[in-house]
Amino acid sequence: MTNLIDTVAEVDEARAADVVIGKGRIIFRRFMRNKTAVTGLAIFLGLFAFSLFGGFLTTWDKETIDPLNIGMGPSPEHLLGTSQAGIDLLALVVEGTRVSIFIGLIVGGLSVLISAVYGCSMAFFGGKVDSVMLFILEALIMMPAILVVAVATSGGGQSLKELPSWLLLIAVLLFFSWMGTARLVRSLAMSLMQRDYVKAAKYMGVPSMRIVRRHLVPNIGSLLVLDFTRGITGAILAEVAFSYIGIGIKLPDVSLGVLIGGATWQVSSFPWMFWVPLTVMFLLTGSLAMMNDGLRDAFDPTSTSIGRAKTKKKSK
Amino acid sequence: MQVLRYLGKRALTYLVMIFLTTSAGYFLAVSSLKPALLEQEKIPRPSPEQVANSFRLLGLDPNLNPWERYIQWLGGILTRWDWGRSPNGAYVNAEFADRVMISTRLFIASIILTLIIGVALGVYSAARQYKFQDRAITSYSYLVHILPAPIAYFLVQLGAIGINDAVGERLFFVTGISTPGIEPGWPAFVDLVAHYAVPTFAMTVFGWAGYQIAQRQYLLDNVNADFVRTARAKGLTRNQAITRHALRVSFIPVAQSIAFTIPAIFTGGFFAEAIFAWPGVGLWSIDAIGKQDVNVATAMLAYGSVIFAIGAILADFATTLVDPRVRVQ
Repeated sequence: MTNLIDTVAEVDEARAADVVIGKGRIIFRRFMRNKTAVTGLAIFLGLFAFSLFGGFLTTWDKETIDPLNIGMGPSPEHLLGTSQAGIDLLALVVEGTRVSIFIGLIVGGLSVLISAVYGCSMAFFGGKVDSVMLFILEALIMMPAILVVAVATSGGGQSLKELPSWLLLIAVLLFFSWMGTARLVRSLAMSLMQRDYVKAAKYMGVPSMRIVRRHLVPNIGSLLVLDFTRGITGAILAEVAFSYIGIGIKLPDVSLGVLIGGATWQVSSFPWMFWVPLTVMFLLTGSLAMMNDGLRDAFDPTSTSIGRAKTKKKSK
Repeated sequence: MQVLRYLGKRALTYLVMIFLTTSAGYFLAVSSLKPALLEQEKIPRPSPEQVANSFRLLGLDPNLNPWERYIQWLGGILTRWDWGRSPNGAYVNAEFADRVMISTRLFIASIILTLIIGVALGVYSAARQYKFQDRAITSYSYLVHILPAPIAYFLVQLGAIGINDAVGERLFFVTGISTPGIEPGWPAFVDLVAHYAVPTFAMTVFGWAGYQIAQRQYLLDNVNADFVRTARAKGLTRNQAITRHALRVSFIPVAQSIAFTIPAIFTGGFFAEAIFAWPGVGLWSIDAIGKQDVNVATAMLAYGSVIFAIGAILADFATTLVDPRVRVQ
């Protein structure tokens, strides 16, 4: 009797050894295996925390002028120094980082969503719908985004004036950021629709929504995740570039681009005003770039990346 | 012959697109840019009637609704090829030619250099995959990706100023096109080079990254293809197989991507012109938008679209030349 129980227990143990690992855990493990990507994630989370709670590092805020320390270098009282107007730089950088991350996350996230929906519907419907949607897409690619940004943010029109400049910039960046990915998604989805496993699922009578969820999304997923981080980087860089030459975000709103641009022409007399926000921007975009490769590997279902197999030592 | 007909058809499609984007741009500009508001800041302040009157004479009547102004503007272009006037009375057509010349002079050298250097480095790094040279070249390209163009140009400018200071005399000019009143001949040429060097260097060094990464990736995709393996089995060395068989095929997607980088060069050009103070197309349009100039902004939008269309058609043409598998029907 006892013997029998033992065999059952042994079989169970053997089964437990090569149990199917959940998808989320596979992705997480593959990501954690890539040291560069983990470092990138750590830096990014650190900056995110800094942008939320960095305000507690200083007693000054971004509006108070310190008349005793105007344009002074880093000192114990002002950890990163003060601006030409006597405002604490640390408070400004915290605010600027938050605005930049915010713009990046919103533009990156929403543009991926738009491009996935737009690209997939082009591939699904095909025919007339496809060619009309492709026409609209190419017409949008054609427009020089920078001019539209400039017109929208510097227009004297009353309706647009009332919106804060960062909201306007988000809207315009979003409008011009999704086309490239949408084209990619369209061509990928089109080729996936022709694959044998999708055809087989169709003939087996699997409902369309489940085919999309089971077969299309996981295959396009790695592209979309990659495009999410790339979209964040793109939006942060675009904000910095546009604000730098004076279109984009405008004072009194603060962002990394506004800080860098404002410090450019006095870089020899106020070097900290230029190098501190620039370093933060580098850390931000650099950490995202470091995560890219690890994310692609983690989400790719055909990934050949293999790790060390975790073998349990037999107790017997 | 068939190629020409195909290209003609593409050109027609793009023409419709240009018309649509420009019209949309006009409506956006006309409803958000209000030059009359700037006139209010003049001293002595003109009365609203005076402002409206002077703008009506320029064809910028603020009392008309956007649709009426659009018809008026479009009529001017279709009947007289007249792109309208600025609020200060200047003709868009007259100024456009000058500005395009300046921009073209600024960009042409760096566009060509960027393409050649990028593709060459891409091939070089793919042929030495994962060796030291490949790692150095490719990580440089990724570094450039996370650096916004205007800041990169500014850093180059700082570097050039540093060199000037170190040498003790002005070797490079970091802004402007030429020194006024320089005598022709050799001194004018030296002056030209001194003005060109910094912007061209900056745009080239920060421009080739995209081509390099794309060319490396596509070439590596092709190195393991069957036809390259066959070529190696015939006895060709790895480098021979790459140059004779893989290179041509891997250039096709790069040729196509040129079309989509042309607008990017155009926008990069805005930053270059702003930083290096070359009064070209980009600087003109940013200035014009600051002055609430509807007609210049729209003309620039149209110009950008035309440049893009030319790039796209050239890319199609290049693909038919390079790719033996493409047959136009």
